[in-house]
Amino acid sequence: MRVRLAGLLGGMGFGFVLSWARLTDPTVIRNMLLLREAHVFLIMGSAIAVAAIGVRLLRIAGVTSWITREPIGWSVQQPERRHVVGSALFGAGWSVLGTCPGPLAAMIGEGKLSGLIVGAGLLAGVAVQPTLKRHRTVEPHVELSNAVGL
Amino acid sequence: MTMARCPWYIAGPLLGMVIVGLRAAVNKPLGALGGYIDVVDHGSRPSHLGFSAFLLLGIVLGGALFANLAGTFSPTWVYSTGLPLNGSWQLAALLGAGLAMGIGARTAGGCTSGHGLCGVSLGSSASAVSIITFFATAVALAHALAWLLGGTS
Repeated sequence: MRVRLAGLLGGMGFGFVLSWARLTDPTVIRNMLLLREAHVFLIMGSAIAVAAIGVRLLRIAGVTSWITREPIGWSVQQPERRHVVGSALFGAGWSVLGTCPGPLAAMIGEGKLSGLIVGAGLLAGVAVQPTLKRHRTVEPHVELSNAVGL
Repeated sequence: MTMARCPWYIAGPLLGMVIVGLRAAVNKPLGALGGYIDVVDHGSRPSHLGFSAFLLLGIVLGGALFANLAGTFSPTWVYSTGLPLNGSWQLAALLGAGLAMGIGARTAGGCTSGHGLCGVSLGSSASAVSIITFFATAVALAHALAWLLGGTS
């Protein structure tokens, strides 16, 4: 329960700042993608810099996490084809919408109810994605009798 | 109370500190996508919703808190996509682009916050590839759409 509470509070801080910095305004995102202003790039760059230094200080200090009591640490992934394919599709949606999953949630909180329509599409995409994957990987192993039997 | 746009040199470090804070408290990464996955996978049994779903709920509440403090909370269905669309075409664009974003993000295993902010700060090369790919695609497509449709500005 305390882990969920930490998530809730962290999310609230995150959402509050997203709204305060107007990252929930699709026009702001569009102006960034059209390279008309540097504001969003500077926010992302400074967020990454502060986070990169902060988490490394925690790891170097060798502290355990306050609530879950584990040594601070993480593993990273190597790039695969899915990161490029998925992110290209994601970027296409991002440019049309001028929003992405985090700011979308904060936008809905602000009362921009059309975000719920985007959210419905997003949830549907998240729900069907594993079935698309299964199609690709499982299909060759489907036995002929099964396929016909269907 | 009116609240001016938060300058980047405050907003960016604050977002970074949320990532550090979650790491210090629960040793978990920040990412909005995980919340949507959690809702899809466990939404029918709310007691099974975990950290990610609560993080997502928190983002919604954070936006609501800001809008209430700033006095800008006024529910509206208006959405400016920048595309010269209205009515059912706009509805289709919002749903379709949302669908693409959901499929793409889950395929890549992260979104702008999970890969872009958190993953890159942790030194993940998969996240670096992801952020470069989605920025390149989105910048190119935004320019192409603006040029083709002239619906922006």
